[in-house]
Amino acid sequence: MTAAARPARSLAAQERRFALALLAPALVVLLLTTTAPLVYLAWTSLNRIDLAMPWLSGFAGVDNYAKMGSDPRFWNSLLLTAVYTASTVVLQVILGLSLALLVLQIPRGQGALRIAAILPIVLAPVVVGLFWRTLVLAPDFGLVDMTTRALGLGSHNWLGDPQLALISVIAIHTWQWTPFAFLVLLASLATLPPDVYEAARLDRASAWQRFVHITLPLLRPAIVMVVILRTMTALSAFAAIFAATGGGPGSATEILNLYAYRTSFTELNLGYGSSLAVVLLAITLAISFLMFRLRRAR
Amino acid sequence: MRTATTAAARRRTRNLVLAAIAGVGVAVWVFPVLWGLLTSFKTERDVLAYPPAVFFTPTLANYREVLFGASSILPNLWSSFVVATAATALTMLFAIPAAYALGRLRYPYKRASGFYVLVTQMLPPVGLIIPYYLVLQKIGALDTYVGLAVIYLTFALPFAIWLMVSYFEDVPLEMEEAALLDRAGRMRALWHVILPQVRGGIAVTTIFVFLNAWNEFLFAVVLGGNRVRTVTVAMFNFISVEQTQWAKVAAGAMLAMLPVILIGIFAQRHIVKGLTVGAVKGGGRR
Amino acid sequence: MTAAARGSVRLEGVVKRHGTTTVLHGVDLAIEPGEFFVLLGPSGSGKTTTLRILAGLEDVSAGRVLMDGEEVTHAEPGERDVAMVFQSYALYPHMTVAGNVGFPLKMVGTDAATIERAVQEAAAKVGIGHLLARTPGQLSGGQQQRCALARAIVRQPRLFLLDEPLSNLDAKLRLETRLELHALQRALGATTVYVTHDQEEAMTLADRIAVFMDGRIVQVGTPRDVYARPQSVAVAGFIGTPPMNLLPARWEGDALVVDGQRLPAPSRAPVPRDVTLGIRPGHVTTATQGVAAHVERVEDLGDASIVTFVAGEHRIKQKSERAATVREGDTVALAFATDSLHLFDRATGARL
Repeated sequence: MTAAARPARSLAAQERRFALALLAPALVVLLLTTTAPLVYLAWTSLNRIDLAMPWLSGFAGVDNYAKMGSDPRFWNSLLLTAVYTASTVVLQVILGLSLALLVLQIPRGQGALRIAAILPIVLAPVVVGLFWRTLVLAPDFGLVDMTTRALGLGSHNWLGDPQLALISVIAIHTWQWTPFAFLVLLASLATLPPDVYEAARLDRASAWQRFVHITLPLLRPAIVMVVILRTMTALSAFAAIFAATGGGPGSATEILNLYAYRTSFTELNLGYGSSLAVVLLAITLAISFLMFRLRRAR
Repeated sequence: MRTATTAAARRRTRNLVLAAIAGVGVAVWVFPVLWGLLTSFKTERDVLAYPPAVFFTPTLANYREVLFGASSILPNLWSSFVVATAATALTMLFAIPAAYALGRLRYPYKRASGFYVLVTQMLPPVGLIIPYYLVLQKIGALDTYVGLAVIYLTFALPFAIWLMVSYFEDVPLEMEEAALLDRAGRMRALWHVILPQVRGGIAVTTIFVFLNAWNEFLFAVVLGGNRVRTVTVAMFNFISVEQTQWAKVAAGAMLAMLPVILIGIFAQRHIVKGLTVGAVKGGGRR
Repeated sequence: MTAAARGSVRLEGVVKRHGTTTVLHGVDLAIEPGEFFVLLGPSGSGKTTTLRILAGLEDVSAGRVLMDGEEVTHAEPGERDVAMVFQSYALYPHMTVAGNVGFPLKMVGTDAATIERAVQEAAAKVGIGHLLARTPGQLSGGQQQRCALARAIVRQPRLFLLDEPLSNLDAKLRLETRLELHALQRALGATTVYVTHDQEEAMTLADRIAVFMDGRIVQVGTPRDVYARPQSVAVAGFIGTPPMNLLPARWEGDALVVDGQRLPAPSRAPVPRDVTLGIRPGHVTTATQGVAAHVERVEDLGDASIVTFVAGEHRIKQKSERAATVREGDTVALAFATDSLHLFDRATGARL
């Protein structure tokens, strides 16, 4: 046999080579399409690049970042991002968990509910935004306005009033993504061991005690995971708001994503837009790390 | 006897209340879409009727208009199909081998490489769009299928890798060892023994990647143009131009969303599993 | 080379380390062609690691592996001409039984007709010829085990490796399969290395046994050998159900002193010393004179009985093929046949 004559090439070394050969193409692609652009982004954020006034382009140091401190629109967008992310995530988890707990009690018809829940998830956010802007929230002829009129609550300009617009875009996001929390939590609930509940019943735990002392702790990993994933989606939300309000009225729904986009591609100020994008990336990554750290700590 | 009947009656009421609440949940999710479907068959006059017309003479005029009219969305559907298919194929081509290595093989810096993939998955698209725009502009790849499909890899690839990893991890550990002893070698062990066992996972991942690519908007609107205009961008432009023609908008939206809705309904079970695999297992294990 | 002469295995000073922990501390082993060789030991003793090193699934940290005189230390699993039955069977769930059994032949490019013939033959040998079209999911545990066996024998390797192949079967099936396995190995005449933690399995199947303890081979021999002359206290305590009674004793001249009682020793002590006295439960009898004890517990197994005695601060078990004649609480005297006593050094545990 030739094996003995061959220089000592162990199975582990062979496995290593095979693994690297399989992994390398994907890593190279990710390096080229995510990491290299990030470096480039960092560079452009240090430049003045204004497509409306190209003759002013050039290295600007940290000017773009310095400008943010005194930019009320930036601080407004940060605040809106926090409000938007926190409220949508909390709403999704509470609504999703409540509905999952309810549905678990229903002996039949869970399948129909699951199909219904899939529907919002598979829709394109931009189409969802358009739908809500026209058919659901439009004054006079939208579904919501027709309902409030029928209930005698009067007609409102749901996307035209700054405060109502913010509530509306939060509602849109919650509508589209609560099914995700619902489906995941429903599936997790179904995997909880029934004998634990039987034991708890024998130990005379009430329904509420069973929920607090058994369901919640057993479900916590899934809830934490849902919170993390939902936070990531909320932090990169763009298309639905863009389609529904475009960030307006004024800057009432202009979360950081929209501000960075509008600065770059509506006002064509790519340099300042880049620095906003860098801040956005830093915030998103920081929050992700924090959340994963929290999960591991527990 | 009496207590038994009241208990049964109570249970019945309870179930009715539960079903009613669940029914409201379903209605909230389904109704806007159903309303859109109804609207797409209405004339513009019926759309603006108050109280809303539930019974009306359905018309196919809106569909005729968005399909074959002056601003037909057929080319956009084609663009979306080409970009999404190409992006999906590319993604799976890179993701499957990488996920296999991450999920089943031993090699140095495994944790670090897995972490790197995870980080790339968290980058918000708006943060990356400026360099993509500048680079594609420089190399003349704006408004091309290749440019857009490659850019779609950035959000699809990390996601696909992690989803596939969870499927690879489900395959019993001894499979490769048995195959190696059966003289298959690494490559054929993967091809003949492992891949057939993750067919379901490949299908789910493919569906997800395709859905995400089909629904993508931001990259398409910035990096596309007159030649490559996906259906999501077309819908957006449509409403900006034809603010009040809701019936036509609805018809267009129905056509644009038809593929994903069909996939959603037919692959319902797989989608739920795909959503939960990462969440439930990731929460439990990693 | 004839088929019978094929399949000798040698391990020379094999060391296996995982990071800082050492799993195998220099294992030497020689297995003869055609032998049914059992690696026996408690979990974590290194027996499975040794088997996996033979398969080529684990690298060695030091030492050499030879098969039929050739070095295969760094050969890949597929190059060694060995077949393995996994504890979990590792059947390919997406292939039929025929596909599973034929897979190792298909991988070396055997033509379809030959594969089919070989598959039928192998399946017939293990009695699953009628199940070829099924998938593993449609088989019972016993049938899956046979399918794994067929996949191993179909290619007529020089060495069979079996990793606790019976542990996933229920008790009754395990006994039946054990006999069949033995008959099959005899019929094929191929060298077989078999890992188990079940000493009864080892005793009934093996031509020779290697006993593993803490990453070392502590004894190699025929089942009778290992049972009758355990080389250490550890082996003595591991083999036999219930295991050998072990009592501290002092060996002085012609006598053994246990709890102040003097018993005749099998031979004369060169110098007085502390020993561990071993006596199989089957060799413990009650007599009119001997070590005083009272009966703590009587377990009636139907066809046999096990009695636990307490003598001083030690417990002594007796096993007999008859119903117990004593009752719990009785006081008796225990006698040990002098020629069935085992003496071990108290400090090192080595047999004297």
